[in-house]
Amino acid sequence: MKWATRAGIHIDRAACAWLIGRFIDSDAEFVYVTDPAHVPADATPFDMRGAELGHHHGDCSFETILRVHHLTEDPALRRIAQIVHEADIEDERFDAPEAPGLDVVLRGLSMTGDDTRTMAVAGPVFDGLYAYYRHAATLGRDPA
Amino acid sequence: MSGPGAERQWVLLSYRLPREPSTPRITVWRKLKRMGVAQISDGLVALPADARTREQLDWIAEEVTDFGGTATVWIAHPAAAGDEQQLIDALTQARAAEYQQVRSEAEAAGETDDLGRRRALTRLRAELRRIQRRDYFPPPDRHAAEQAVNALHPANTRKESTP
Repeated sequence: MKWATRAGIHIDRAACAWLIGRFIDSDAEFVYVTDPAHVPADATPFDMRGAELGHHHGDCSFETILRVHHLTEDPALRRIAQIVHEADIEDERFDAPEAPGLDVVLRGLSMTGDDTRTMAVAGPVFDGLYAYYRHAATLGRDPA
Repeated sequence: MSGPGAERQWVLLSYRLPREPSTPRITVWRKLKRMGVAQISDGLVALPADARTREQLDWIAEEVTDFGGTATVWIAHPAAAGDEQQLIDALTQARAAEYQQVRSEAEAAGETDDLGRRRALTRLRAELRRIQRRDYFPPPDRHAAEQAVNALHPANTRKESTP
C-alpha cells in the first residue's frame, strides 16, 4: 500500500512511518509531498491537515494511528506514543523526559540528510525504543 | 539577529471560532500563548516561520476546524520593516518579562533552606524550558535567568557574599 505524508519529516511522521511499516503494512511504500494537493489518489495520507490519521482531540498522529488500528493494547507502543506526543506537542500531558532528547536527535537528522535517510536512521532507533519498553513492561521497571 | 534587508518569514494563523461554547476558544488561546505568538489583531497571530512553528500553527488550524471554526495558515513578510520591528520588540519584551520573573523567584528561593532551593530548582528549570521554547528573539534577561536558576544547585551554591 501507498502512504503519503508531508516532506521534511520530524518526530511524529518518522514514528508513524515506523509504526505503519512495522505493525500495519509490511509492504508500505512512502511518498513525501510538499503540498496536500500532491497526495497520490491511491495513497493513505497521515500526519497531514485534513487526514483521518492526523492530530485530533489533542492527540498527535501516532496516537491517532494507534487508536484507529487497535494497537493501544501494547504497553510499549503506548509508552512510545507518550514520548512522541510530548516531543511533538509539548503540552505536559505525559511525563516523558525522553521526549526533548529524541526531538533534538530527529531535528539534527533532518538537518543533515533527506527524508529517506531520516527514516533509514529513525527505523532502528524506534526498533530499539520498542524493545526497551517491551522489556520494561515485562520487568515492571526500567531495564537498565 | 539578521541585519537590515534580510528577509524574515513569518507564519500567520488567521482563525475564527464560534463565540459559544467558550471552552474551545480558551483551549486554542492557551495553546497559542504557550507557543508565544504575537497577536496582530483579533483572530490573527504570528510567529517567525521555521519548521516547528509552521507545523504548530498548522495543527492549531486543524484543531480550530475540528471545533467547527475556520482557520488558514499563511507565510508572510511585512511590507514595512518598522512594522516587523514592532512585532519583534513585542515578542522580545514578553519573553524578557517572563525571564525576569523566573530570575526573581530563583533569587528569592536562594534565601531559603536546602529543600526549598531544590524544589525551586526543579520547578524553575521546567518553567525556564517552557519560556526558552517560545523565545525566538533572546533578550539579555535569558542568560541572567539561567544563571540565577543554576545557582540553586548545591554544586553551584557559593558561600554567602558579604552583604
